[in-house]
Amino acid sequence: MGKRFLIILAAIILAASGIWAQDIALKGGTILTITNGTIENGTIVIQKGKIAAIGKDIAIPDGIRVIDVTGKFVMPGIIDSHSHIALTDVNEATDPVTPQIWMWEALDPGSDSIHKTLAGGVTTVKTMHGSANVIGGVNVTIKLKPNRPIEELIVSSVRQQLKMALGENPKRVYGEKGRSPSTRMGSAYVARKAFIEAQEYKAKWDKHEKDLAAGKKDLTPPKKDLKLETLKMTLEKKLSIDCHTYRGEEIVWVINFCKEFDIDLLQISHCIDGYKVADIMAEAGVFYGGWVDSWGFKEEAYDGCPYGMQIMYDAGTKMVINSDSPVVGRYLFREAAKVLKYTDIPENEALKMITLNAAESLEMEDRIGSLEKGKDGDIAVFDKHPLDTTTKCLMTIVEGEIFFDYSKQSVTAKGGSR
Amino acid sequence: MKKLTHVSLMLSLLFVVATAGVADDAILIKNGTIVPIKGSSTMVGDLLIENGKISRIGKNIGAPAGAEVIDASGKYVYPGLVALMTAVGVTGYPRAGNDTDETGTSTPQMDPYDAINPEDDCIEVTRVGGVTTVHTISGSRSVINGQSVVLHLEGTLAEDMIAKHYVAQIFNMGATEQNKYPSTRPGVVSYLRTTLNQAKDYAEKQSGKDQKTEKDKKSSNDKEGTLKRDLAMEALVPVVTGRVPALFITNNEVTIRNALSIIEEYGLKGIIRAGPGILKYADRIARLNIPVIWAGTESVPQRWESHDLHYHTAAVLAEKGILFTFDSGGYGPGSRNVRNITRPAAISVAHGLSEKQALEALTINPAKILGIADEIGSLEIGKIANVAIWTGSPIQGRSRVETVIIKGKLIPMTSFQTRLYEKFRKIVDERMKKK
Repeated sequence: MGKRFLIILAAIILAASGIWAQDIALKGGTILTITNGTIENGTIVIQKGKIAAIGKDIAIPDGIRVIDVTGKFVMPGIIDSHSHIALTDVNEATDPVTPQIWMWEALDPGSDSIHKTLAGGVTTVKTMHGSANVIGGVNVTIKLKPNRPIEELIVSSVRQQLKMALGENPKRVYGEKGRSPSTRMGSAYVARKAFIEAQEYKAKWDKHEKDLAAGKKDLTPPKKDLKLETLKMTLEKKLSIDCHTYRGEEIVWVINFCKEFDIDLLQISHCIDGYKVADIMAEAGVFYGGWVDSWGFKEEAYDGCPYGMQIMYDAGTKMVINSDSPVVGRYLFREAAKVLKYTDIPENEALKMITLNAAESLEMEDRIGSLEKGKDGDIAVFDKHPLDTTTKCLMTIVEGEIFFDYSKQSVTAKGGSR
Repeated sequence: MKKLTHVSLMLSLLFVVATAGVADDAILIKNGTIVPIKGSSTMVGDLLIENGKISRIGKNIGAPAGAEVIDASGKYVYPGLVALMTAVGVTGYPRAGNDTDETGTSTPQMDPYDAINPEDDCIEVTRVGGVTTVHTISGSRSVINGQSVVLHLEGTLAEDMIAKHYVAQIFNMGATEQNKYPSTRPGVVSYLRTTLNQAKDYAEKQSGKDQKTEKDKKSSNDKEGTLKRDLAMEALVPVVTGRVPALFITNNEVTIRNALSIIEEYGLKGIIRAGPGILKYADRIARLNIPVIWAGTESVPQRWESHDLHYHTAAVLAEKGILFTFDSGGYGPGSRNVRNITRPAAISVAHGLSEKQALEALTINPAKILGIADEIGSLEIGKIANVAIWTGSPIQGRSRVETVIIKGKLIPMTSFQTRLYEKFRKIVDERMKKK
């Protein structure tokens, strides 16, 4: 009885003093802020899941947990804006148009891929429908909080993105079934037809709502159609688009397509030929999403060219590096280092491709992607500079909570096979 | 029209003469940090190449008349990297089509040399990434896939590129067939035993026949000794007699174990290409002195395993004294990033392997596994001049390759990717000017 009382008392005192159990301070590290340069021997304080203070001589509030990261490198949690982790299902490959599919309904917070990805310093992921369908499902942006209720993972405040896919994949999937689309022309038709139907659907509903507002009686509402509902949301810009396409002329096609329907295209994924149309992408403000040096793993990927990133950088194309896999998601920082091999893009800009730019491609740049006061306490700690390929992630913190700790979770810490 | 042909013929002849002239020329690399991997220790100095070979390493080496002098101040001189299990030279759409993996459960007679395409785009992309020598295999999807060759990534004809024929026969212990025998792993083992037994019989008959042939020369009326030629069996004879290594592709613990059993049972000169599961057999592999092509660095561990179990494996292999190299990231028409062989090395260094061990695993170790360590794999006097000058360590993702020399020839630092860059740099810039 007395013990319980003491615990309650302690909780009251802690709450009154504004200290949460998860409040944490990292002290002594080299902080790569991304937006405000590097702070040597700096301190970062996270309270209530947000960065409360960051700088060289920061007073650490009494009673909060302090972690000494002297000699270590502290960077914003890495963001992967194209992944398929933590999903029980990826492709509803039964129809080329499936906007009725919502990926959060396949989200598995118990998936081990979350833990394995956290170990690579990743804190936020857009986990996506596959590329079988011209219009796939609605992707879901999540924070990597393993085993928590999905409400804690899903970033509900952010506009989610509808997946589209052009090129070889839908051609192959439906062509092999003897169905349309089996050509790029077919895919273009399928996409256009769907959005024209959505425009008509939206017009019906708009009229109905206008009539309702005008007080008309005995109205019969139009029939609900779950596919068209999602596309209507896209036309209303409540959803944006991430389109998977490799080839230059297809990138231009989808940019024009989205202009035609006045829908928001945020990212071109698997954007192998992006450099060929860098200026057009820059003008459209659409993100290059892809890898650094992948090429030739299929015909439409043949012209992959790592030097092309320089063309895109000079043209002002916004770029993010994606994993598209549970393997690469574990070392996106090593991929970013290769930007320095093939281009003269500055270090901080390479780091942005896995942090701030990715945040912007998710429309979350006010919350994540850099270490600034008021942003989410999403942090990755490395033993060397993250662009040194012989570094490893030591700690990953999501909204102030430590979800990965190398000292406890490495094979050596576990007394593994040495 | 005829005149034009003559002119172009003369021009190309001139070009041939010119390049032939360069080939014999000496190259002197000055003031670089020379990392020889083997022989001597790392030092700042000069390296001289003459007649395609490394002729001197030291300080203040004078340039022979007409030698090309390369200033490597502040740069690092490494032996060319050597990559195993590639498809370089046999895969090349959209230009040449794909020539890997002939049909059949057993195709030991397949020789990738018969399909080498010196115009494969992958050759240039790979060599400007610092990889100068590759081991190209005929396939990986069958139980018995065929032969494999070593190529230096320089030359206009296959015969210019070939460094060694038939370095190993490629077996795959997990290559189960669908809806036909062998459709299980035990089936694969049994299939393999049967075939190896046949090859042993064939080898005995062949040697018996050879002896008989000697006698035949004396008594010309003996007609018994004619052994019907079987090209598949002929290709397996050097394997079962231990002259050519048997390289086993494995994909899990069971297939690693089965490969080890076959190697021991038949006394083969085994090499194992393995992913996760290798550590359980590391002691046995060390005892049997079997070289390992470690392919599992980037595999995602099982949910009950530590995230870094495989990141850590190369360090354990090194500790146990196992001769190992890294797999070039998978085999097949989709795997053109042989140059990224440095990535598993970097990951392993982050997790306990020393940088020295990592560099050995990319140079001298693969040379040893391929049986050509007396020719390549380190910067030593008398070795073939396969050299790359880097801005930093090859295992650093940001390090650039500035100069590549293969067989003593200076390689143009161009590829179809640099040509794409030039082309679209112009196109994009011009379009932007118009706006």
